[in-house]
Amino acid sequence: MAMMVPYGQRVTPDDRTTGTRGLMRPRPVDRTVRIVVAVLLSVWFALPVVPLLLWMVADRWSFPSPLPTEWGFSGAVSAVTQGAVPAFGRSLVLGLVVAALATPLGAMAARALTKGSVPAPRLVSGILLAPLALPAFVAVMGLTVVLLRARVPGLVSVVILLVAAAIPYTVYTMRVAYAAHDMAYEEEARTLGASRWHVLWRVHLPLVAPGLARAAFLAFLVGWSDYVITVLVGGGTIITLPLLVAGAASGVGNSAVVAVLSISAILPPLLLLLLLGRFGRRYPVSNLPGSGSPRSRSSKGFL
Amino acid sequence: MTPALLVAGFVVIGGIGMSVVQSLGLAPLVGQARLSLDAYGANSTELVTGVGLSLAIATVSTALSCVIGLAAAVIITQGRVTGRLVAALSAITIPIPHLIGAASVGLLLSDAGILPRMLGISSSDWPDIVGGAWWVAVVFEYTWKESAFVALVVAGVLASRVARYDETAALLGASRARRLRHVVIPLARPAIIVCAMIIFVYTLGSYEVSWLLGRPYPEPLPVLAFRLFDSITLTSRPEAAAVAVVTTLISLAAVGAGMALLRRTPLWN
Repeated sequence: MAMMVPYGQRVTPDDRTTGTRGLMRPRPVDRTVRIVVAVLLSVWFALPVVPLLLWMVADRWSFPSPLPTEWGFSGAVSAVTQGAVPAFGRSLVLGLVVAALATPLGAMAARALTKGSVPAPRLVSGILLAPLALPAFVAVMGLTVVLLRARVPGLVSVVILLVAAAIPYTVYTMRVAYAAHDMAYEEEARTLGASRWHVLWRVHLPLVAPGLARAAFLAFLVGWSDYVITVLVGGGTIITLPLLVAGAASGVGNSAVVAVLSISAILPPLLLLLLLGRFGRRYPVSNLPGSGSPRSRSSKGFL
Repeated sequence: MTPALLVAGFVVIGGIGMSVVQSLGLAPLVGQARLSLDAYGANSTELVTGVGLSLAIATVSTALSCVIGLAAAVIITQGRVTGRLVAALSAITIPIPHLIGAASVGLLLSDAGILPRMLGISSSDWPDIVGGAWWVAVVFEYTWKESAFVALVVAGVLASRVARYDETAALLGASRARRLRHVVIPLARPAIIVCAMIIFVYTLGSYEVSWLLGRPYPEPLPVLAFRLFDSITLTSRPEAAAVAVVTTLISLAAVGAGMALLRRTPLWN
């Protein structure tokens, strides 16, 4: 009586089978423990976001009251008067520039490393990953002197330092992508007479697009959420969203403004994450007749 | 290949190198360059307490993040509805910047925060979690953000590689506890070590959370370095660089220890 269970589906066995099969025996205690732990973990991950959601729409919230005493949007209004909109724009541009620079750099390095055409590959990948092991403020404090004497504009210095901070993520993500990438498709296209550019645009990039999207997301996150590098190098002249949040949060009595600014700093990356989960997961196999390669599908999950 | 290497190499080698040069008094803002170790001795008491404090914060945050993150990863891979719920909530935590997390934790845990309001505890009875002697809010913020990171990475490993072994062990009659002890944890170990390394180095060198949720004195290393760097005294730049060099040395030692641990893991190629 072999029982065929379709992969990924769950069957509810009857009492006779469960009694004799250990694996199918219901375990109410295990189940309860799992649910309790899961609820605790859910509270753990969700709780720190709750104050932002409540304060965002609170005009007044006198102390002992468990909920806001007056609801409204005065927090949003004063956030806008403090320059939230241009700061949001600056953060967005900074994130996009860092992503636009660090993603191709990381992709090229990862491709060279995967192809094995790099001398001393261990040393090279060590240097590429090293910014992860170096606290950002160390790099800034060491290099401001050099960058100032070379008369590099502050904004350019910020971008250079942020790109370096993003490179470990893009290199690592693209190495994972290229490990699952089959170079034979490109060779095939070349054999069939496609030019190098044609191969790059029509074969290579579409195949690694999900990896590129993940790498660009992580690089965007580095530029978008940076505080230390912007404040130290920019010296307070480049006002991004995190700088506004820090200024508001270090003071007293502007909880509503802090909440509005924080939510507006969370939403763009969250939207990108959702888009990534929706579209960046796999290449639409149906568009590539005959290439239902399981490899292109196996690279889900980001990082 | 080369451009990425140039940028990363310039920032890492240049950053460390110029910090060392400045801390030795070889690149003063004004006056003669003179080789000396004065910058390291100038704030020796603050430096020693800073090292202790930063190490303590980083160690506790790393350990808690790994334990909570592993628990979350097990739930994510084993539970169906519960797994999806925990996976979604921890994924939302990932893109939140640490600074925003710190601001939010401040609104949650301070003596006028949401938690004392909801629990109906008056401000005077609420313990000093934000800005208190034990740096609870700082460790809380780090652990919250980084446990989601551990959950994400470890759940990825568990889902792809460990699931088969876990099922086999279950078929062979191993209990849940034994499978966790002998299958799941050993197979997830390399990923956990890598995560722990990244978290330790990050929490050791991160400024904004300690600055926002900590107390003015004693200062962790990054906060001390920031104060010296922004100070108007001309001698303080080398002193800030000295703090930076000490922080770098601890980071490199931590990475070295992590790599040594990884090499002793049988799964690491």
